[in-house]
Amino acid sequence: MNAFIDFITGPMVWISFLIFFAGVFIRVFRLAQEANSKEKFMFSYFSWKYSLRSIFAWLVPFLPASTRQSPVFWGISYLFHLLLFMVPIFLLSHIVLLEESLGWSWISLNDSIADVLTVLVILALVFFAVRRLNVPEVKFLTRSSDYLFILIVALPFLTGFLAYHQFFFYRTMVIIHILTGELMLILIPFTRFFHMFLAPISRAYTGSEFGNVRQARDW
Amino acid sequence: MQDSTIENKDSVKTDVIDEAVERGLERLTPERIAGVINQVLAKETGARFKTYIDTCMRCGLCADACSFFLSNDRDPKFSPAAKVKQTLTEMLEKRGNVSKDFLKNMVRIAHTECNVCKRCSMYCPFGIDIAYMMLTVRRICHKLEITPLYIQDTVNSHSATMNQMWVKEDEWIDTLQWQEEDAREEFEDLRIPLDKDGADIMYSVIAPEPKFQAGLIYQTAVIMHAAGVNWTMPSNPGWDNSNMAMFTGDFEISGRLAKAHYEAAADLHVNRIVMGECGHAFRSVYDVGNRWAGWRMPPIELVHAIDFFHELLTTGRIKVKEKYKKSVTLHDPCNVSRGRGLHDKAREVVNLLCDNFIEMTPNKEHNFCCGAGGGVINCGPPYKTTRMINNRVKKEQLEQTGAEVLIAPCHNCHSGLEDITHHYGVDMEIKFFGDIIYEVMEKTIYQGGV
Amino acid sequence: MNDKNANGRNAWDWQTEKKQIPVKEWESQFNWVEEPHVSPDGEQVASIVNSDEAEFSICVNGDVWEDTFEKAWSLKFSPDGRLAVLAANDEEWTVCIDGTEWESRFDYIWGMTFSSDGSYLGAAIQQDGEYGVVVNDEPWESLYENMNHFTLSEQGGSAAVVQVSSMSQGDIDGFAGGLFSLAVNGEPMPQTFMNIWDPAFDSQGKHLAFTIRKNRSDYSIFQVDTAWDQTFQSAWKPAFIENDTSLVAPVRTGGKWYLYKNARPFWSNVYEQLWQIAVHQEKKSIAAIVSDSYGKWTVSQDDRPWTNHADQMITDLSFSEQGDTLCALFKTNGAWTVVANDKPWDLGADKLWKPAMDATGEIVAARFEKQGRYHLAVNGRVAPGDYDMLFDPEISPDGTKILIKSITGGIYSRQVLSVDGLI
Repeated sequence: MNAFIDFITGPMVWISFLIFFAGVFIRVFRLAQEANSKEKFMFSYFSWKYSLRSIFAWLVPFLPASTRQSPVFWGISYLFHLLLFMVPIFLLSHIVLLEESLGWSWISLNDSIADVLTVLVILALVFFAVRRLNVPEVKFLTRSSDYLFILIVALPFLTGFLAYHQFFFYRTMVIIHILTGELMLILIPFTRFFHMFLAPISRAYTGSEFGNVRQARDW
Repeated sequence: MQDSTIENKDSVKTDVIDEAVERGLERLTPERIAGVINQVLAKETGARFKTYIDTCMRCGLCADACSFFLSNDRDPKFSPAAKVKQTLTEMLEKRGNVSKDFLKNMVRIAHTECNVCKRCSMYCPFGIDIAYMMLTVRRICHKLEITPLYIQDTVNSHSATMNQMWVKEDEWIDTLQWQEEDAREEFEDLRIPLDKDGADIMYSVIAPEPKFQAGLIYQTAVIMHAAGVNWTMPSNPGWDNSNMAMFTGDFEISGRLAKAHYEAAADLHVNRIVMGECGHAFRSVYDVGNRWAGWRMPPIELVHAIDFFHELLTTGRIKVKEKYKKSVTLHDPCNVSRGRGLHDKAREVVNLLCDNFIEMTPNKEHNFCCGAGGGVINCGPPYKTTRMINNRVKKEQLEQTGAEVLIAPCHNCHSGLEDITHHYGVDMEIKFFGDIIYEVMEKTIYQGGV
Repeated sequence: MNDKNANGRNAWDWQTEKKQIPVKEWESQFNWVEEPHVSPDGEQVASIVNSDEAEFSICVNGDVWEDTFEKAWSLKFSPDGRLAVLAANDEEWTVCIDGTEWESRFDYIWGMTFSSDGSYLGAAIQQDGEYGVVVNDEPWESLYENMNHFTLSEQGGSAAVVQVSSMSQGDIDGFAGGLFSLAVNGEPMPQTFMNIWDPAFDSQGKHLAFTIRKNRSDYSIFQVDTAWDQTFQSAWKPAFIENDTSLVAPVRTGGKWYLYKNARPFWSNVYEQLWQIAVHQEKKSIAAIVSDSYGKWTVSQDDRPWTNHADQMITDLSFSEQGDTLCALFKTNGAWTVVANDKPWDLGADKLWKPAMDATGEIVAARFEKQGRYHLAVNGRVAPGDYDMLFDPEISPDGTKILIKSITGGIYSRQVLSVDGLI
């Protein structure tokens, strides 16, 4: 058992990151390659100025009209995406682990704050699931895999929360926590989670076309 | 209750019989269907298409952008992403092995339930270009030869005559000479100079102007003459800037038309092309046909009428005698606002011409399409009733302004809005900027020096 | 340019330095005077003039034709110096040349075109709602429901795309079945197609080639009397080469453009775009306007793209008479210039016309407009002085003199200058 835990907290972390980075690299590379061979014209319309203009506009909460039209969803969504990265990165126990193995460390979140934020992430995911079930236009588009994605994101947070509070099966929770965390990392390049990388790219291209050619805003 | 109204509308919509679609479907074999679909999806699309398909998180935010969705009581089938799901997603998953019933629905969705207005790109957090996706579906319809009848006939006219309304070569010239003669009632030496080599401006129009609305050419001639503009019109094909081929996915004809247009201008050695008040035509020569031909941007400067009128009014070439009195509102045509950012200039023009301007909301880049755009009105009478149902939101917008006059600087918008005001009984007169300028301008010739 | 023209040029006055005609004065005699046209030899300047409601005539060097017309348009000098106009009286249209009307009358006439020696004048005609062509006062015997793409050969042959079957409104199946044929001298070919574009005569005026569309997606080339066995995604106007024994055409396949010869790949390079082929038969040289990467244009001569590129547009690709100079107009950043044998001039022109070249191609002269003033450039050097209006320059057959036709201050000037002084 200890050997297994050593494996998933040691080599498996490296493997997960390796798969993640390699997967991201290969996908982005292939995308660029295909664009270059079939739709080279797109590069001639690309503009850093208008790409960044569009991306920044969409990063400012409630600047785009779309975000003002659905403020609840957008409020939760902005917060969720922020916390999705912030909580694991600034969690004290993660930083401690990292310091032990690599000697790296940075400022951490107060544990009780992190605890509240974790709950917020889980609640946001519950909101997304409920929304998928109840809002007709979203329900119509939803597939079972969308719930699976929600579950995959929820699991590391949920198990982390349970493990931290040591409610029950602490060891099992920690193991599931680590495994699902790694699973998510591995899945990013191969699933719709990849929107993490594709969204800025498609936003940049639309921003370039709108700004550079059509001289209009796209938010 | 809501369900039953949706059902009624559905029955109106599925009752539509389009001969060309029916006959086209009859001719298809499963092999041909799968072959064409897979050819287009595998060979003609690339990284962009894949990215859009893979990035969509099915969040449904695009729904609120779509006038079809809003006009149909938020029927989920009408959200932009739902249109992709009901067409492309299924074709991809079934590897092109789809039924004829599926194709029939697909034609309806892609051709008559999307104005390719690109509003949803502004509501999708990722900026997914669903207009491009729907045009890809139309490309498949084109290659399967199941494009709706009326618009296909228009494309046929484009291909044979280089104009969209089967206007014969002599009819075009004759119409210009007839308008010139009539306009000499106002200025005895007025000309519509044909083929004037080295003029500063080539003025181009869409074929419905010589065919049905020659008065618009008359008005332009008066405006050009009064403004002292050195202008010309080509007597040979290439004079029509419209392009329905770009909306049926017949990109080869679309590019051929753009080539003819720019070659006509190059042959006349003009500095600029000024075009009449049309939106889709602007898109076709500014943003679409030129690309197929290989021109990254228009090879010859292309100026939309809004921009040109703005120039004439702000430089004093056209003077306003007395501002227009009736209350007016402005419909922003998608293809020159979202398509070229001319909405602010359009407002300045309104304010230079009219006393009482009432904004319509949402507006500028966030305007709703007239419902006619993207080739939807060009699918013709079979789809008219559904087109009215599908753009109730525009009617509501119009009514809220309470304006007496609606300015719509685009032909497609004009026709679409005429239909809406008639269908819903909205009491509003629809005008072009040219109509209003002609009415309020001083009919004297600009002498320069201002 | 053939011998007849060269002989004609020899006979021009290359001695008198300056002749002037005050054209501005005409304005006082008429309601209005339309834009001036100048004969190739520069001896005549002419305009359509209006003297009363529906009363038009032609003023040449201050003299007015005897005939007046209710309408007149499309005033043009032929290459051999005849002045022609399309004119109507009593709603009947005809061609009037140097004041003499043709006998034929039509409901409408347009598209006036000359053979390059000026001996043939052709135009498109409409009579009783039917369409055809007239050449040198002889109309086609058969007329058609519709007609487009009228073209005239150097030998006076005429061809046009004609509609040979009727189509009821919106009959897209009928259209797909092929309503169009190509009529040569009025006689239609047996084959019909969905679309026919861009008929091109061979140099002897005996055979034609053109672009066809067989169905919604398949394009091909029709060569002499049969279609190529291959189909393409699109195709542009073909051109005859090798003493008319072969044909080249730009074709699109797999989204890219290729130059094909007799239905088989010819040039090995692949282009984003390829059109407007220029051929020099004796030199066995073929050139085309190409885009070798998206948004970048250049000229490819015998499949070798030039190093200079234009980012907007290239037009008017042509060889000098002996084929030593290949010239085109390039537009980059909103400004036009001449590029001759891959060497760009520095003009920055707003408007630029196809240059005149002497037979050897050593002298290249072009007129251009910049900020409202006209200038002349010879071999890349802008000649001193500017004009209100400048017409096409002409180079003497011996290549020593340039004829400059211009208007400044309301006075038309015909000037003969020595080439040496300009380059």
